[in-house]
Amino acid sequence: MTRIDPRRDGGATVRFEGVEVEALRDLAAQVAQVLGGGVPEHGTDPIRDRLFPRAYVDPTEDRAETDFQSVVHEDLVRAKSDAVAALLVKLGAPTDRRDRLTLELDRAGVEQWVGALNDVRLTIGVVLGVTEDDDDDDPPPDDPRAAGMATYHWLTWVQGTLVEVLMEGM
Amino acid sequence: MRTALASTAPATIEAPTEETVVGPDLPWLVIVWNDPVNLMSYVVYVFQQVFGYSREKATKLMLEVHHDGKSVVSHGTREKAEVDVARLHAHGLWATMEKDRA
Repeated sequence: MTRIDPRRDGGATVRFEGVEVEALRDLAAQVAQVLGGGVPEHGTDPIRDRLFPRAYVDPTEDRAETDFQSVVHEDLVRAKSDAVAALLVKLGAPTDRRDRLTLELDRAGVEQWVGALNDVRLTIGVVLGVTEDDDDDDPPPDDPRAAGMATYHWLTWVQGTLVEVLMEGM
Repeated sequence: MRTALASTAPATIEAPTEETVVGPDLPWLVIVWNDPVNLMSYVVYVFQQVFGYSREKATKLMLEVHHDGKSVVSHGTREKAEVDVARLHAHGLWATMEKDRA
């Protein structure tokens, strides 16, 4: 079980089991892959559409949309990629004798993790077709989405707990 | 404390409140849309972080997004709206901008 303890400096101590480290590393690596590569063609990939939404709803503003994307997209990709990369670096440390990994995050580290975990959850959310109805319970074990939803709900808990840590210090 | 300078120091100048920037010259609305993934607490955190809103105001806007499907979270010139939208996208919120038709 993941354990998260707030630190006095506004950061948090996070302890993962070995299998959790593996699971999160796999997912973060997939997100890192999605994040690479050019200005998105909207409508071609639902994950990229969700990570990089249009700014302008009005189709007559397509020119402004293109200009907007050309200005912000690269920075947006870099910020998201940096956050995911930082998470992967932390998760790359060896586990201890009990196959656990304990991470010390300062407040900036918690902020970065919260952002990276959000992108991981957004990505899984698109893949699994998460809806508002999926908020609470895991589906029954024979449901094809069971494993994915369990992981999704676990990451929801991790992110939510880290958000609480940040809100305490605001 | 530098009491001698207190009367000339600009300490009493208040930051502009949002009322002062509302006007017919500023027709762009920044809208955040509901989605099933972003946590309610996270959305409140982002509104506080990005706009400097109070916990109360951020919570009120988050609840509008949650219950009404969307909320106007800021407004201003096209340039300001683009900056706000970009910052919300950086935090993974589903934000768009459109001209105020009011």
